[in-house]
Amino acid sequence: MSEYILEISHVSKYFQGLVAINDLSMKVKKGQIYGIIGPNGAGKTTLFNCITGIYRPEIGQILWKGKDIKGSNPYKIAELGILRTFQTIRLFAEMSVAENIMSGRHIKSKQRWYNGVIPTPAYVRDEKANWEKVGELMDFFNLTEYATIPAGDLSYGIQRRIEMARALAAEPELLILDEPAAGLNENETLELTQTIRKIQEMGVTIMMIEHDMEMVMSLSEYITVINFGAKISEGVPSFVQDDPVVIEAYIGSDEEDEDE
Amino acid sequence: MMNKTSLIAIALLVFMGFFPLFVDSAWLAVGTTFLVFSVVALSQDIILGRAGVFHMGHAMFFGLGAYTTAILNVNFGLPILATWAPAVLVPMLVAFVMVAPIIHLRGDYLLVATIGFNIIFIQVLENDIFGLTGGPNGLFGIDVVRVLGFDFSSQTHMYYMAFILLGITLFIMRNLDKSKFGRAMFYIHKDEIAAQSMGINVRYFKLYAFILGAGIAGAAGSMFSVQYSAVSPEAFNVTQSIMFFTIVLVGGSASLPGVLIGTFVMFVLPEMFREFETARYLVFGVAMILTMILRPRGIWPVRFGNIPDFLKKGVK
Ligand SMILES: Nc1ncnc2c1ncn2[C@@H]1O[C@H](COP(=O)(O)OP(=O)(O)OP(=O)(O)O)[C@@H](O)[C@H]1O
Ligand SMILES: [Mg+2]
Repeated sequence: MSEYILEISHVSKYFQGLVAINDLSMKVKKGQIYGIIGPNGAGKTTLFNCITGIYRPEIGQILWKGKDIKGSNPYKIAELGILRTFQTIRLFAEMSVAENIMSGRHIKSKQRWYNGVIPTPAYVRDEKANWEKVGELMDFFNLTEYATIPAGDLSYGIQRRIEMARALAAEPELLILDEPAAGLNENETLELTQTIRKIQEMGVTIMMIEHDMEMVMSLSEYITVINFGAKISEGVPSFVQDDPVVIEAYIGSDEEDEDE
Repeated sequence: MMNKTSLIAIALLVFMGFFPLFVDSAWLAVGTTFLVFSVVALSQDIILGRAGVFHMGHAMFFGLGAYTTAILNVNFGLPILATWAPAVLVPMLVAFVMVAPIIHLRGDYLLVATIGFNIIFIQVLENDIFGLTGGPNGLFGIDVVRVLGFDFSSQTHMYYMAFILLGITLFIMRNLDKSKFGRAMFYIHKDEIAAQSMGINVRYFKLYAFILGAGIAGAAGSMFSVQYSAVSPEAFNVTQSIMFFTIVLVGGSASLPGVLIGTFVMFVLPEMFREFETARYLVFGVAMILTMILRPRGIWPVRFGNIPDFLKKGVK
């Protein structure tokens, strides 16, 4: 088997004629932090949606440990150990923080079909072990004091932490983060950077879309730059940073913004 | 530790337990039907309040249980006791076969499809398919429950049997809410995409909700047919389905006390205003409108955050 845990090869995704992703390829090594950057509307989120099964790309392959997972149902992809957060936070707003994180334990829970109706000693043990894991994650993400509070009532920064805790509760092999620093203040971003490092130290591979250049450059070992659905550059942060094509793409998009 | 809700629950339990001692037979029958309808409404709430599936054909599952008992007893002479298991299993099987092909449909589309099933069901009953259902008049002369030579034939017996059935249902619902299965239904209800992305098989858990809900409604149907010793199609038509649907929303989706209150408001209150004849249905309509305006999440809404105590230690 190759050293790459995830191999995306020649993937294209169309929306009614619009090319959202255009012949995109990349390889992610186990244990790596892999950054994806690009101007707004470049197709970064669409790529994550293709990996996690929300969209099925028309062309190409998405190989997870050598097996094509393209078009699999999202729940099956999560069962494989690929968990994600969302750019537009998607929590179970009315449910408590603890219950939100507990959803991450779903695939780890060993309850049998009849445990929805009758409790058994094995069920009781399973339930307890999973709640304890939720407790550990709340400690790790400094969420303990909000355990019973509906997730939707909390601030943006805290909600981002809940989403990461929820994904991590499933003990992922690959954690996919879509703009984890969006909407965070400077302190929160600093904290997040440390948290992501700690998660990597646990042995989790991380893919991350981020507009905060300082953060993405400091964390990533390798970066792919996307514009208009296609790869325009890739390499280590120091290379990508100075690549004229990348600078051009960002300046181009800035000018567009000014025109609006 | 005792909280307010458990105290109210115990007071209510004691009241319901002694209820037959101080009412006449007419009110006893209302009490029994209240218990049976509560069971049906709770089972509707598994599908609607927990899994969040807009299902408006629940009277069909209720009717399938009732007719299974009636047909097996009246046409085939089986004792009532022997019809209990089929009365639960037949609705479960029908739920699986009918709902599996449409479970992926979005809210409003699925709503229409479930109404369609209910209408077909009534047509089948009224046209006396295979000569088993007795057509528009239904079936009469359903036996009572007999165990070892003892007949549970009085209205008081009926009441306590329904009381036990409600107890079992509440036991099941509590377990459901405290298991991975009930939680998965809530996650799907609140955000289907997020739920899927956490590894939840949406199709499986929606079907689970349907099949479990159908089985419980079937048990209530069997009880209902024995209570009245007769079944007829109009007790299971779309209007009844609308009532069960409404009970859940008026009382409070996914809230056990809410659904019991909903059943009381939508079924017992109109009985209290019986002397006003059809005007009593005014209560029905007014209650629906007022609740949706004043308390859109129901009279007694669900409260989340029922987590183990050891996780609440750090809460400020
Ligand atoms: N479901 C969809 N249907 C149609 N078009 C879509 C859909 N999802 C995304 N698109 C389009 O695909 C393109 C890429 O969008 P995407 O969300 O992937 O961009 P992005 O790189 O994540 O941008 P941002 O940095 O703003 O989040 C955009 O033009 C968007 O409008
Ligand atoms: Mg995006």
